Amino acid sequence: MNSIQAATRLHLTKKNMTFGVPLQIVGLIAVISALIVLIIWRAGGTPGSEEWIDGARSNGGMVFGLLGFLVYMGVQSIATTFPFALTLGSTRKAFVAGTLVWAAVTSAYLALIYAVLLLVELATDHWFVGIYIFDVYYLGTGNLLILLPTVFLGSLGALTIGALFGASWARFGNRGPIFLGAGLAIVLLGLLALVIPLITGSVLADFRLWWLAAAAVVIIAVSAVMTLQLLRSAVVR
Amino acid sequence: MTHAIELLSATRSFRSDDAVQDVTLAVPEGAICGVLGRNGAGKTTVMSLISGQDRPTTGRVLVDGEDPFENEAVLSRISFVRDNQRYPDDYFLHHVLGIAPAFAPYWDGELAAELVERFRLPRKPAIRKFSRGQLSAVAIVLGLASRSPITLLDEPYLGLDATARGLFHDILLRDLGLYPRTLLLSTHLIDESESLFDHIVLMDRGRVVLRTEAEEARHLAMCVSGVADAVQAFAADYPVLYSHSIGGLQTSTVTGRLDDDARSRAATLGVRVKGASLQDLAVAYGSGDALQDSSKEGISA
Repeated sequence: MNSIQAATRLHLTKKNMTFGVPLQIVGLIAVISALIVLIIWRAGGTPGSEEWIDGARSNGGMVFGLLGFLVYMGVQSIATTFPFALTLGSTRKAFVAGTLVWAAVTSAYLALIYAVLLLVELATDHWFVGIYIFDVYYLGTGNLLILLPTVFLGSLGALTIGALFGASWARFGNRGPIFLGAGLAIVLLGLLALVIPLITGSVLADFRLWWLAAAAVVIIAVSAVMTLQLLRSAVVR
Repeated sequence: MTHAIELLSATRSFRSDDAVQDVTLAVPEGAICGVLGRNGAGKTTVMSLISGQDRPTTGRVLVDGEDPFENEAVLSRISFVRDNQRYPDDYFLHHVLGIAPAFAPYWDGELAAELVERFRLPRKPAIRKFSRGQLSAVAIVLGLASRSPITLLDEPYLGLDATARGLFHDILLRDLGLYPRTLLLSTHLIDESESLFDHIVLMDRGRVVLRTEAEEARHLAMCVSGVADAVQAFAADYPVLYSHSIGGLQTSTVTGRLDDDARSRAATLGVRVKGASLQDLAVAYGSGDALQDSSKEGISA
């Protein structure tokens, strides 16, 4: 087993955290979505109507519900695992690479789960009662080719950004995440100020989804590189 | 002599604080070296540098002739579990035992199982709920079962009961006999472990104040006690490392071999004299009165 595989296995040893808890959260969000549908139906909504479908497809629970947990997983993948990885004899480079592989495995697993559940949702005509959990606008409105990269890149992005914050904590202590968060906010707002005048109607008309995918890839790559840079000088004390 | 570990004028600074200052030492391959000193003396920092978990601010650290930092080949031959080791969230004992072999090419699962059994380590609670002694036992399992050619044990006795400490000694000696390796062990329980050591490094305030073979260390100094005036008269002929007075009585640790002349002089003055133990030396050097680097043959540059 090479050092990157060993670092990946270090994370995968906690199988429940990687594979079990996300599934439980997905189940919980599904139950909450079903209860909300029940409330809307009791309030006079008509399942299957155009208005019902449009409203139901705006359900972002399955996108945003898991986001917080994925960022937490990313933070702990570095903050509490890095000292033990060094103890086991991992190099910092192998640890960051192994963590990235683990994040990719976790993201692929989630994308697969979402894809299977979308197919079940479509096959059962939205769980027999018009519940839209995976066939929603945020996940490509039932299009697997959009759902798969969206969930994969979204999860990987959340995990690597969490890892970056974990690395900033490992390097600078409590000040790390505060300064990193403030720094990122300033950079993003500055970029927005620069770009907004360039966003014209024609640019919006030409917008393509792959732009978002490309942006996600850049964010993931930058996060991974910054994580390595922070950990290279991080000291366990 | 082949050196497994070398520190060449290594200094590690954290802002304006030097945790380790200009440390130069060399540990021969196969040595069992006690790293002694007070809290904050720099023992853990030195081990951290040797294990590549940290880099010196200035100077060099070599393990088997190579810089250990980010050196995969060297790191696979080192085991270092710090005394305040942190484990990933929600880690259980089986997680530790499951992952360690992936990093330790010499891992012995049977020895790990024996240590877990004999230290009575519980499998159910998460490691964060372990007692201080149980955490030390986990560190011992990792340190010994890894069978790493260079093993660094940082305060392995912390919180261990007397039975467990005896058990650790027995298994350590048995395993070192079967699989010799270079061992650095830091501890405050010097009397209990001094029989293990063949080399000693004594640190104070980030500096090495004594490095010598253990046998030589036992003849380096004397402890003289009695009426203050008589003790001072005896000590007048020797460099004093440490003195402690209560009322009219005084105890001093002085540099010098306990020979017939010293015994005769002590008898004449009516003071008691004995050879200083490693514990006495650690107390004396830790008092801050004796900061000179007293390098002896064996562990030295």
